Formats: sequence, C-alpha cells, structure tokens
Amino acid sequence: MDLALTESQELLRTTARSFMEREAPVDVIVGLQKRDSSLAPDLWQKAARLGWLGILIPAEYGGSGERLSDAAVLYEEMGRGPLPGPFFSSGVLGALTVLEGASEAQRRQILPGVATGERVLTVAITEPNASWGPGGITLAPQGRNGSYVLNGTKLFVADATSATDLVVAVRTGEGPADVSLLHVDAKTRGVTTRRLPGFVSWQCEVSFDNVVVPASALLGEAQRGWAALSRALERALPLLCAYIVGACQAVYEKSVAYSQSRVQFGVPVGRFQRVQDHVIRLVNHLDSARWTTWEALWKLDTGRPAAASVHMAKAVASEAYLDVCNAAHEVHAGMGVLVEYGLVAHTQMSRTLFHYLGDPRWHKRAMANALDW
Amino acid sequence: MDFEVTYTEEQQRFRREVRAWLEANVPSSVQRTPVSAEDSYQRYLELRALGRKLGAKGWLYPTAPARYGGGGLDVDHAIILEEEVDRFDLSLPPYYDSGGRLGSASILVWGTEEQRQTFLPPIYRGEVRTWQLLTEPGAGSDLAGVRMTTAVRDGDEYVIKGQKIFVGSDNGTDRIWLIACTDPKGKRHENLSWFMIDATLPGISMQPMELMGTGGEGGTDSGVKQTVFFDDVRVPALSLVGGENKGWTVATTHLELEHGGGGRIGRNRVWDRLLRYCQETKRDGVPLSQQQDVRDSLADIYIKTEIQRLFGLRNFWLTYARKPKSYEGPQLSYFRKTTGLWMTGAILDAVGPAALTTDSGWGSAAGFLETQQRNGIVSVHPGGTTDIQRVQMARRIGIGRSTREKAGTVHGAE
Repeated sequence: MDLALTESQELLRTTARSFMEREAPVDVIVGLQKRDSSLAPDLWQKAARLGWLGILIPAEYGGSGERLSDAAVLYEEMGRGPLPGPFFSSGVLGALTVLEGASEAQRRQILPGVATGERVLTVAITEPNASWGPGGITLAPQGRNGSYVLNGTKLFVADATSATDLVVAVRTGEGPADVSLLHVDAKTRGVTTRRLPGFVSWQCEVSFDNVVVPASALLGEAQRGWAALSRALERALPLLCAYIVGACQAVYEKSVAYSQSRVQFGVPVGRFQRVQDHVIRLVNHLDSARWTTWEALWKLDTGRPAAASVHMAKAVASEAYLDVCNAAHEVHAGMGVLVEYGLVAHTQMSRTLFHYLGDPRWHKRAMANALDW
Repeated sequence: MDFEVTYTEEQQRFRREVRAWLEANVPSSVQRTPVSAEDSYQRYLELRALGRKLGAKGWLYPTAPARYGGGGLDVDHAIILEEEVDRFDLSLPPYYDSGGRLGSASILVWGTEEQRQTFLPPIYRGEVRTWQLLTEPGAGSDLAGVRMTTAVRDGDEYVIKGQKIFVGSDNGTDRIWLIACTDPKGKRHENLSWFMIDATLPGISMQPMELMGTGGEGGTDSGVKQTVFFDDVRVPALSLVGGENKGWTVATTHLELEHGGGGRIGRNRVWDRLLRYCQETKRDGVPLSQQQDVRDSLADIYIKTEIQRLFGLRNFWLTYARKPKSYEGPQLSYFRKTTGLWMTGAILDAVGPAALTTDSGWGSAAGFLETQQRNGIVSVHPGGTTDIQRVQMARRIGIGRSTREKAGTVHGAE
C-alpha cells in the first residue's frame, strides 16, 4: 500500500502547476469565459508541445500512452484553473472513444492529429432529452446511396464550437443499445455548432441539417458503438473527476486564504466557527472526491473491475464540486460573486460538470447495478 | 498509488498460520449477543482468555515493540492479523481496551524506560485491561478544564482525590490512567498531569451508569459507563508519566489517536448486513433492494461507508508511512460520527420499523440494525463531539487561531 504519487508524477505535477501559473492565471481564465470557443490557440499549442494532448494515446498513434493515474495528475492541475479548452473532450474522451471503437486504419488516420492538437475531437452523445444512457440516443441516420444522412440535434456537447471532428452516437437499430458511432468533419455542409448561452461552460448544440457523410465515416462496426463508448467512458470519467478534484482543491485554497485575510469585527473571519463550518464542509467534499477518484484510477490501471468505483467517483465528484462552490460562496460573500476574482468560473463549471456525462443520481443507480445488488 | 497491501509468500504463509490458529482458539460462543448481564460477563471472560492467548503469541498488540512484550511485527503482518480477526467480527484487542491501546502509545512516546518496562508488558500480553479516565462532570469537551480530580505530591507518592464520569464499560478493569490537576492555580494546559495506576487500589470506587448504547462491553458505544470516585488514593510517583504539569502534552498523543489519527482498515459490518437484509426481505412482493427508492437510499449509505473506509485507509497509511498529518485525524472522526448519526435516519427510512426491534421473529439483521439505531447516536460524543472535531480541523487547517496547530505525535520508541 502506498498512497503517495510516484516521483515522475510529482515531476509532472510541478511542471503542470508552473505552466498553469504562468500561462493560465486567474485573469486569463476569466478572460476566456465569454469566448464562443473554449480553445485558446496559444495555450493549446503550448500544451500540445508538452505532450498533454496525446498523454493517453499509445505511442504507435503518436502519443505517449501514459497510465490513467499519470494523466490524472495533469488533469488535477488543469482543474485548478479551471482551465477551459477541449483537453478532456479531445485528448481523453475523444481519443479513448476512437481507440475503443474505431478500426486500426481509422485510429491511424485520426489519433496522430489529436496528439499534435491539429485535430480536435468531441463526442456527441446526448440530445434534448438529456439522458446519458443508450436510450437517449434517437438521432437516426437515413441511408442514401451508400452514405449516411443526418437530420436532428445533439445537445450538451462539450466544446463543440472548437472541435474539428465530431464523433456522433447515432441510433441504427431497434435494440436498446443498437448504437453506432460516426466520425463527422465539423466543417461538413449542414453541421452547425452553437455554444449554449447562460450559466453553463461550453456545452453546445450541434445541429445536423441534411448532413451527408460517407459510409467510411462509420467508426468500427455498426451496433458496437454503445459498447465502445461505455468502455471509453469507464476510463475517461475518472479523469474528469481528477479535473474536478483539482478544481475543488483550488477553491479550498482560495477559501482558506480568504478566511485568513478578510477581517471583520476586528478578526480574520476564519476565527468564526460558522465560517469554519463552510471550510470544513468544503474540505470533506474535496477529500471524498479525491480518494474515490484515485481508487477508481488505481483499479483501472491495475486491471481490476472498476465500473462501480468509476460510477461512485463521478457521483461523489459531481456533488462535491457543486457544494464546494456553494460553501466557498458562503465564505467569500460579495467577493465571491465578483467575476474577476475567479470563483465564478468554478461555480459555473461545477454546475456544468454536475450533469455532464451523467449526474449523481444516474451514476449512483449505475453503481448499484454494477455492484449487482 | 497502491490501495492494497501486496503480500509476499512468507506473509501468505503467516495468514494461513493465523487463520488456523484462530479457528482452533476462538470459541464460537464469543460471537453470541449476550442475553443478560451475567451472560455478558461470561462472554467478557471468554474474550479476556482469548486476549491472553493472543498476547502470549505477540498478536494482541502486533506492532508494539517486542522488548516490551508486543509482537514486534511490521505493519503488513498486523494488517493480516486484523483482517483475520475481523472474519470473526472481532478486533484487536477483542474486548474494550482503548485505555490499553491509547495509554500504551502515550507511554511509548512520553514514558521513561522504567515506566515502559513496568506498564507496557502486562498490557501487550493481555494480562490487564485498561480504562482511560478523562471526562469529569465539569470537563467534557473542555478537557483541559479538568479541576475536580486533583493529585498532590506526598513524599514518594501522589494522593489522588476527585471524580471521573462517563468512563470505561462494564465488568471492571485492572488498570486506569487519568488526567488530574496538579496545580489548581496554574495556567491552562500547564497544570495537569498524567497517571497510570492500578485500578484495585484502596479508595477507588465505581458506580455504573446506564446509557442508550447496547450491551455492557460494546467499546466506546457501551451501554454501561461508570462514575469513578477517588478518595485519597495513594499512588507511587512512578505512576506520573511525562512529568508534573506535563499531562496535556502527553494527552496530545492519545487524543490524536482517538480522533482518528491512527486510521483503520476493515469492512463496515453494518453495511454487509443491511444489504443482505434488503435483498432477502420483500415488501409488496418485491425485495427491498429492487425498489428504486430503497435502492437510491442504499446507494447513498454505501457511498458514505466507502468514503469512511477510504479516509480510514488514508490515515492508516499516513500513520505507518510516517507522513505528516494535519486535519486528517479529526476529519475521519467527524465523518464517522456524522455519518453514523445520519445513517440512523437513512436506515430507518430504507428498512422501516423492523430496524427498531431486536425481536427474533420480526427484527432485522439479527438486531444489528437496532444496535446501529442506538450507537449511531451514542457515538457522537466519545473521544470528542462532532463539534470538537470541527474545532480541531479548523485549527489544523490554519483558520481557527493565529498559528496553525500541529497533529499530535503518535510514534514512540521502536
């Protein structure tokens, strides 16, 4: 038993943290919030040069093929920002979906560009029904002259406005999990992407208006899409959780620092037990998310059955981030809602990720099923 | 990271040896739920006998130094022992001996060589059981406010006078340790002293208190606690550990351990039974575990027990890998206590009124859930209330006071 990071993980953490402090301080993060695209080209290229985009892509496809727990160290640091950009959408969920679902030739075609950052993937799963199970996938392509024709909408697609390539889950049969994956160039005629307005971070609408894609767009085999996506999600979710853990850590540190420095009634507000209670609620959530996430990562990296742990981690992390931000707002009062202070970026992200790829209720039920109760 | 202990072939062999020994030496009778006070006492005697056998092998306190009568085993062997004992629903020691566990750790850190050689071997060999006496009628959460029990030096002895409350369990004890005021006019935290004494000395008397917990030997959740009176009890000066007026310093060690700083590995005994009950019990023709609302409640309960397990594992690792600790001890304690209290409602909601009865026909999970209904409430206070745990956390996070407080030392002589 050893719950410490390895030496190389510590090194990666140091590198990533200094990159974040240099390239993505609070004013940069705040400045990016209103952009239509989450991708900041300069940041993206620098991250690509550091190998961050191909961290999970095996060497034969141009990446470095690190373990999930190594990548998790990186995603914790990104979460501290919270750093916007399709890092997870493309480098994790996109890459893993292609790895799990695509043919060898397709992997060789798609993944090297993902590792260099020239190609930006996002996976379009749910629809206006906002379900994250296979039943929520109703968009059904029509076959015409050996091509697929798409008409309809994918919703709550992360970072779609910065994607070059979409992996679209489509319904191709009557069976509950008869789902296939189509690889669609985002510039194809009839495809439009739009960032949803409001208190949500780069969740997008993707509309298909008579979009024609060739038969070769089918990733792997027909009807195997849901199985591939499930395998990809099992490995991807803990990295989203790691991003959340880093985010919670940053919000915790902000809250501790603020309660030590903000003076009211002649003392730092942290001396008040009411304020302490908020910080304690916060750190309890943080550690709950951290250890459920890391146990899931360890199980995956060592080949143990991990489905229940992964679902639990996502449920715990989603709830944690939401309430961590609530607690932080109680500590910070007016300062917390001042946009330039930086907490708001977390608060909005916490609401966004609460639901993204399955909300706590959904994952708890999936966990119970995985445990075979 | 590695969340699991990897065992060598030698350790696997040790596990087989332990398992065979326990199967031969743990009487099946100790797993019964006592039906009367007399029965509880008989069961206690059986467990003490088992404790002496374990102690003779060095398995009662496996990681304690061998030169003082402990097992001298490394942490991996200790984990194997804990896991194997856990298969019998027992812990080490198999009876309420938190005074031995916490007191011996304090003596290892703060005692003289003579005191270690005198006090530790009987504890480690299971020859004595020990109670800790901290709380007084006027000093509960404010432990540093101990004033009622005083000790005055008289030649080679100290004379102890006063009263302790909410201590021990049922069936008596051999040794006790306590904090007494040795300088009534002295500064807070600099006026207390720590004594390890024989519980059978003249002038010590006890009066049982009936609490809402179940059973008389249920550890911190015991349904019986004592008021202990000291009427000019004369103890040798050797009983004073850590020096006069240094009692608060000694206490930082056992308080850190009692606040969860030592961590824990092991399964949650309530959870296993709750799930089995819900799978085996039908309502309206459908097993409880297949009803969506019950299933949702079970998921919430399971997740809390898993987080508690992970916090315990983390603290265990921090302790044995000798990593610096901050708020983690009181955090585990706070989480365990608040989870237990919350779970009383969650289990009652999921299971219904069967959670409240020990009736052999209509009760649930052989009375285990009824026990949880009581003990989830009782456990809020021993070793510091939920509020005290939060005060500790805040100080160690660095917001409760102008300087950050450090965790207590838990490692002594090896």
